[in-house]
Amino acid sequence: MNAAAARPTPAPDPAAPALVWRDAAVGYGDHTVLRGVDLAIGRGEFVGLVGPNGAGKSTLLRAVTGEAALLGGWLGVCGVPAAELDAPRRARLVGVVPQALPEPFSFTAREFVLMGRHSRLGRFERADAAHTAIAERAMELTDTLRLAAERVDTLSGGDLQRLTLAQALAQEPRVLLLDEPTSHLDLNHRLQVLDLVRELADDGMAVLGVFHDLDLAARYSDRLAVVADGRVPVCGPPRDVITPSLLRDVFAVRAVVGTDAVSGSVTVTPVLREPVGSAPASGPEVFVIGGSGAAADLMRRLSLAGFRVSTGALNVGDIDQAVADVLGLQRVDLAPFEEMGESDERRVRELAARADVRVVCDVPFGRANVGNLRAVVEAGGPLVLAGEVSAERDFAGGEALALLERAAAQGARMVGGTGDVLAVVEQLAAAATGEGPRAR
Amino acid sequence: MRPSRTFALLALALVAALVAGVALGAVAVSPADISGALGRALTGAERSPADAIVIDVRLPRVLLAALVGACLASAGVLYQALFRNALADPYILGISSGAGLGAVLVLAATTGATAMRYGAVPAGAFAGAALTMALVVRLASFRGRLDTTSLLLAGIAISYTLAALTSFVMVFAREQMSAVVFWMMGGLTSASWEYVFAIAPMFLLGMIVPVASTRALNLMLLGDERAGQLGVPVERFKLVVLAAGSLLVAAAVSVSGLIGFVGLMTPHMVRLVLGPDHRTLVPASVLAGAILMVLADLVARTVLAPVEIPVGIVTALAGGPFFVWLLVRQELGR
Repeated sequence: MNAAAARPTPAPDPAAPALVWRDAAVGYGDHTVLRGVDLAIGRGEFVGLVGPNGAGKSTLLRAVTGEAALLGGWLGVCGVPAAELDAPRRARLVGVVPQALPEPFSFTAREFVLMGRHSRLGRFERADAAHTAIAERAMELTDTLRLAAERVDTLSGGDLQRLTLAQALAQEPRVLLLDEPTSHLDLNHRLQVLDLVRELADDGMAVLGVFHDLDLAARYSDRLAVVADGRVPVCGPPRDVITPSLLRDVFAVRAVVGTDAVSGSVTVTPVLREPVGSAPASGPEVFVIGGSGAAADLMRRLSLAGFRVSTGALNVGDIDQAVADVLGLQRVDLAPFEEMGESDERRVRELAARADVRVVCDVPFGRANVGNLRAVVEAGGPLVLAGEVSAERDFAGGEALALLERAAAQGARMVGGTGDVLAVVEQLAAAATGEGPRAR
Repeated sequence: MRPSRTFALLALALVAALVAGVALGAVAVSPADISGALGRALTGAERSPADAIVIDVRLPRVLLAALVGACLASAGVLYQALFRNALADPYILGISSGAGLGAVLVLAATTGATAMRYGAVPAGAFAGAALTMALVVRLASFRGRLDTTSLLLAGIAISYTLAALTSFVMVFAREQMSAVVFWMMGGLTSASWEYVFAIAPMFLLGMIVPVASTRALNLMLLGDERAGQLGVPVERFKLVVLAAGSLLVAAAVSVSGLIGFVGLMTPHMVRLVLGPDHRTLVPASVLAGAILMVLADLVARTVLAPVEIPVGIVTALAGGPFFVWLLVRQELGR
């Protein structure tokens, strides 16, 4: 106290960004976890931190709370150097919802949340009605007020996590740090908590949250900062940050990046882990005709099983095309809504002819794609046919049905779902090449 | 139970225990004689022959017992909060042994019932307690984590080592042997007003920390990290609490030797009734510790009268099984 009076630290500056790292190095003792961090989070901004396990996301938060050391550069909290904040002053600026839940002693939920007022109370001051009202408001916001009289050691992890958020809100912080704030929550409360935090950000709080769920992070954050290899290489709007190449480089996952139908935010659908065959796959080659997602799972599983996979012509924007692209399969791309032309069909025929086994998934055929079917049937050789041979699949004026019937007559193996296809493909491939797929 | 009512009950019980402690013994003294003796002592009137028993023998003894009990119970509260461990207790952690060795070293190096000795013994006890505390925590905090097992093991190991060292010192200090052995037995047999006045200031000084940081002690129960996030300067606070705990233990040990389990049992019993909130736990434990110790001492000197048994035996007989019960309950609770 006396030291603080003798050398006053600068007062928090409302105009300064809530959190600023400049060329910051963060770590524990001599061990540097993050270096060269440049990141600024303003008032009212919700920034999501994403990155693989152990990349240092939590360490970045701990630098703010003083649990990790700032080993170089600058870190400012509301305009005040983090190093000059003592524990009570920091607690008045920064609220934290930690990853690990606090050990619950038999306090009531209300007492537990009131503990958030500690830094606002004098040494012998008791929490009066005003303090209690603030704590109860925080409980109301987090939907925990009805638990007020319960003992926290009897509550579920989800309740405890929301009470911890309430405790942090009772601090009336300007900055809220969240470390996996919804890890213990069910779907309903996950949305409730994140909606609440989003609202708090809209009201001016600066929020920095660690997320493993990229979809949630993208949906709620204004910006996403990526932590990887001890650095924060990227920070920007979710749509700019979440790309297939980033997912591949940072998370070692091949994924399809799409758009959430409801919120319009970025969605990530993981397809395969990297590396997909550390050496180029050299097993039997399987040629697949799909479309609209009918072949997505089959292509994924064939790749996983070590087959070389190629596909026919697909329109860009089609989900099978996206999956084939992510898997790096040989294929023929068409522009959106483009119909197959002669050159497309010629290339499809080359791929089909080259393969050891051909598969036609359960898709309908129209003028746009009947060329795929024609190419594969004319190529001859082992063929697997999924779905019924029926006129219902024919939107090409009878040609598709004729081709399907011809394939059946040529001895194509007829199967039901993807799982059956895989088994039959393995048999046929073994027969065709005298070997199975390379075990991975 | 409402805290205010509990405090009132505990205060009444303490008064009753003190009165019983003064009244009962080899010679029973009636309450009327006690109040008469007190009145004469306070007004400076001429003493009646029986007054000496009350004023010179029994009163300092029960007050000393109360102080020792309060010191041990408060230290137990502090350690249990800091280590978030219900099994922490100055005796079990080896801190009492450290204080004991410090006191024995001073006793061995000095002679006579001098004022210097009254001051030096507590000082030696404090140094011993503080050093032991530091050593046990250092040993137990392997990789920065203090878990129950390592804390207890470190405490036990240190305890034994210090007991051996204490015996070793006694071999060399033959002339002081009787004083040391007498002290080592653990008890309030040699209680006197000098002792009371020697440790009362230590008690008051040591109590500043628990009384002034009840909220911070509550927050420590949530874990170091969370306490820090909510505004407790954790590292500094721990040092202050450990120092206060050592001071309280040193106060108790320097006048009564090693008395076990009071620091363990008292906070527990209070917590069972009043819950974990230090705003009630601290004052209630002070009162309960005092009551417990006065009663234990009463048992120690009356149960086999005229033979006195060391009060440490009484507390250990009650506390040992209690400790086992706690340990089993904690294991089962996992």
